Amino acid sequence: MADVKKHDTPMVDDLKSGPWPSFADDIEQMGLKGKQECLDLLGQLELSFKHKETHWKHGGIVGVFGYGGGVIGRYSDVPDQFPSIAHFHTVRVNQPASKFYTSKYLRKLCDIWDHRGSGMTNFHGSTGDMVLLGTKTDQLEPIFYDLTHQLGSDLGGSGSNLRTPSCCIGKARCEWSCIDTQDICYDLTQTFQDELHRPAFPYKFKFKVSGCPNDCVAAIARSDCSIIGTWRDDIRIDQEAVKAYVGGELKPNAGSHSDRDWGAFDIQKEVIDLCPTNCMWMEGDELKIDNRECTRCMHCINVMPEALRPGVDTGATILVGAKAPILDGAQLSTLAIPFIKMEPPYDDFKDFVDEIWMWWMEEGKNRERFGELIQRQSLQEFIRRAKLKPIPQMVKEPRSNPYVFWSEDEVEGGWERDVKAFRARHAA
Amino acid sequence: MAVDREELKQKILEFATKKSKHKSKMYIKDLYKAMPEAKPREVKNAANELVREGKLEFFSSGSTTMYGVPGMGKGLEEAFED
Repeated sequence: MADVKKHDTPMVDDLKSGPWPSFADDIEQMGLKGKQECLDLLGQLELSFKHKETHWKHGGIVGVFGYGGGVIGRYSDVPDQFPSIAHFHTVRVNQPASKFYTSKYLRKLCDIWDHRGSGMTNFHGSTGDMVLLGTKTDQLEPIFYDLTHQLGSDLGGSGSNLRTPSCCIGKARCEWSCIDTQDICYDLTQTFQDELHRPAFPYKFKFKVSGCPNDCVAAIARSDCSIIGTWRDDIRIDQEAVKAYVGGELKPNAGSHSDRDWGAFDIQKEVIDLCPTNCMWMEGDELKIDNRECTRCMHCINVMPEALRPGVDTGATILVGAKAPILDGAQLSTLAIPFIKMEPPYDDFKDFVDEIWMWWMEEGKNRERFGELIQRQSLQEFIRRAKLKPIPQMVKEPRSNPYVFWSEDEVEGGWERDVKAFRARHAA
Repeated sequence: MAVDREELKQKILEFATKKSKHKSKMYIKDLYKAMPEAKPREVKNAANELVREGKLEFFSSGSTTMYGVPGMGKGLEEAFED
């Protein structure tokens, strides 16, 4: 055993007794191999359990020279007891699009981190970055040098920066992807390098890119600007495959629920009746879809992937303003652009981003997310500043939640009225 | 019309130094007040240049980034040394 000191941690050890593997086991094993930081971390956790309060302080260090993000300072407030974690900074590393790695890359990254940090990682943080947990201030520049020179990797975003854009697996492995999510993610990362590394905003800003409305990266729930692939023509139908699903030759949901006997596949009950807009029906043994009413929920496509596929005129829907806060509850993003082609170099989309950032930088309050600015200043103001044209899809239902109000210069005669003349015509 | 970068940097530095006597960490929006006619992006670029020159410094909580004047208030590491 390496020359390390294990603390007495009965409450932390109790976590190992549950039915699932525990982080306490993993961290302890890493510690016993020679990483005192891991054992000190568990020791401090035990102390926090005892005191029922955290012993971490955070803040300060933001990154390496020239960067205003990528490193989150962490310090122990009991360094005398746990000296190896007196500094325990987190390093965020920009993940490759869709998180594809070679084993060689991962081995090298782990070697760097074993050498210069605690050896502990978190793959991946909720923003998408590779998160390297626990290093000292004097190791930050060497880590950055190694990451950039040996791995060709950069730091990710933190603080009031653009956060590292992230995307689903996209066209690399998914036939439903309507857009090249990886290219969009990479292009945005390169285009907005300045915003990613140097704080420009009132608070964080996140892009997330999903290839289809299944939204595997939960862009609609977690990003200030959600880019979600969609199509504007018709769902492609293979009627022979529909018959095969109905006849039982093909398994619904690609067999993913076949561990139990749910009975024979019932297309009426499991697909048609579950369509949220009731836009599907059978004519004999042919499936029909009124595509004008389709809301792109993906349910029918998910259930019968060999029979139904997204259309071929593909692009993206852009939504803005989601956040997942601790206090107020989740806020989903709001429709901004129903359809945009999203083809390189994505200039139309970037022009839109420039407009909304300008508004947010001018008007956003400190620590106010973009969605909160829309809530505070109104959807109407958002549309005006984003230079969008109001469209019916932006209205939830007639005469409620209107995005659009008349302004005085759009109304003949403005707001000023001759009250006396009005009363002359309307006495009561 | 774009403002003069050096003049903007000078005004930001003066503003930040004056303000840091009673509040040592500032949001980027506070720095807008140094030269109201400058665009937010110009202020950000100038402030970042000042950081590279060592005349301002970043301070981040992890979720939000603030600007400070080195030597005023508690510094990056000093804030955590009790």
